[in-house]
Amino acid sequence: MAASETPARPRRTDPTKFFFIMPAVIWVLLFTIFPLLYALYTSFFSFRFGRINQFVGFGNYLRLFTDANLHNGLRVTLTFVIVTVTVQMLLGFALALLLNREMRGKSVLRAIMVLPLFATPVAVGYLSITLFYEINGPINELLRALGGAGIPWLSNPFWALVAVIIIDIWQWTPFVFLVSLAALQGLPADLYEAAEVDGASAWQSFRSITLPLMTPILWLILLLRLVEAFKVFDIPTSLTLGGPGRATEVYSLFTYRTALRFFDHGYAAAQGFLLLFIVSLIVALLFGRIRSIYQEERS
Amino acid sequence: MRRRTSPVQAILIGGVMVVALLWVLFPFYWAFVNSIKKPADTFRSGAWVPFLQFQPTLEHWVSELAILEIRQALINSTIIALGAATLAVLLGTLAAYALARFRFGKSGNANLTTWFISQRILPPVVVVIPFFLIMRQLQLLDNVFSLVLLNATFTLPFPVIILSQMIRELPQELEEAALVDGANVSQAFTRVVLPLILPGLVATWIICMAFSWNEFLFALSLTTNRAIPMPVIIAGAEHTRGVQFWFVGVRVLLTMLPPIVFALLAQRYIIRGLTLGAVKG
Repeated sequence: MAASETPARPRRTDPTKFFFIMPAVIWVLLFTIFPLLYALYTSFFSFRFGRINQFVGFGNYLRLFTDANLHNGLRVTLTFVIVTVTVQMLLGFALALLLNREMRGKSVLRAIMVLPLFATPVAVGYLSITLFYEINGPINELLRALGGAGIPWLSNPFWALVAVIIIDIWQWTPFVFLVSLAALQGLPADLYEAAEVDGASAWQSFRSITLPLMTPILWLILLLRLVEAFKVFDIPTSLTLGGPGRATEVYSLFTYRTALRFFDHGYAAAQGFLLLFIVSLIVALLFGRIRSIYQEERS
Repeated sequence: MRRRTSPVQAILIGGVMVVALLWVLFPFYWAFVNSIKKPADTFRSGAWVPFLQFQPTLEHWVSELAILEIRQALINSTIIALGAATLAVLLGTLAAYALARFRFGKSGNANLTTWFISQRILPPVVVVIPFFLIMRQLQLLDNVFSLVLLNATFTLPFPVIILSQMIRELPQELEEAALVDGANVSQAFTRVVLPLILPGLVATWIICMAFSWNEFLFALSLTTNRAIPMPVIIAGAEHTRGVQFWFVGVRVLLTMLPPIVFALLAQRYIIRGLTLGAVKG
């Protein structure tokens, strides 16, 4: 957090500004807004064999209420989001608190923690097929070595979802860790010194200094994680292909299949808007709590 | 280091660190170790350490890199990453300068910034259908060019946010002095601002490359043959070939290594990028 410095307010107002801003604005209009409007248009039609068939009004949206497979996708995604984000937040923040001190090897630790964040998610999912391999994958071998039994990771609906969740936790806990650590290190040291002089215990200074100062950042991390988690597609697609059955068929995968396997573009567009609505709702609910972080931008 | 660390704490922290590192690094190690195992060794238990427990081989690397599809996919991924990142940084730098130095009405700057960032909220699956239909219309299906365009769009928020912050942190007087000396706005931008933000610009470019390289949903939807990049090659392979650990190892590493190297190069700016400018690591 760079709350200490006050960036200069933009001063100039001459029309040159349009030369600088317009290319990007036009680009986003062309490649985000136009496709969105096109998707909205599409969602009111039924498609057959990739061609517009007929206007169906809100027909595609009404199907959202009765489609059991869609509800399955929603349920799988919600379970995935709640479990992964909760574990990532707790684990990542706890690790950051623990390692927020002067010590050797810290920059190496940080560099290593960056690796999962940029490891191609599809590749991670694909690799996980071998990690969770039931006969002699390393995870089951480890479990057996510890005296347990092997787990039917990819053939059992429950464990398949657990496997997907574990991989996502592996990939994204470092994000919570790194951002929390960066924010913790930006906290004013003199507050802690003053608290120590006043005889506050470690727990007390955590409760009354660290937590309140970190709260906006934690809300921000939570928001970013929630948004990303709702979009999940790559890992379940490469690790389990949504299976066994539909046990790991997350929302985006179901919509993808509706659109590009069954060519039901209109219905898929309607599904997309439901997901967009859910994600936007979360952003709207949480944005108020992180506004203060971006305040400096809004001068 | 707010408080003194007692020996017990030190051991605890050391232990947690070791566990965390093993947990993070193991999958990479597993990919690597399988990529140099003979097929028979991959089906044997307890073959975890090369030379000691099995004789390593490079044959899978050689044979995989000889496959035309893989080479084409590596080339495609490179074109997509380079092209998309360059486009995004080009558009993004200009917009970043505008947002940092010009006023767009009362709260226009903040609104424009939010508008650019809000793109990261959009689930890609919402726009994959229109993109598919549009690209089909333009005859750009199975063409790397379509993926360059789309990845540039979805990585655009990174340069906009990171670079506008960097420019805002520069003293405005430098450009004003150049303007007084007779430079025009574009000269002040290219000769004064650009050199000063160059490190951030390069880092942003690298981050955009990593994201474009890793993108999967659009690549899967818009390519069928010629234009297939690495992530799509990978996703298709397993379920037709059965589990062949050695191929998995090679392909996974070929796919992951570039973005990971990119990430390490741009480390200083990663937190800023991933939090959309809210936290500066």
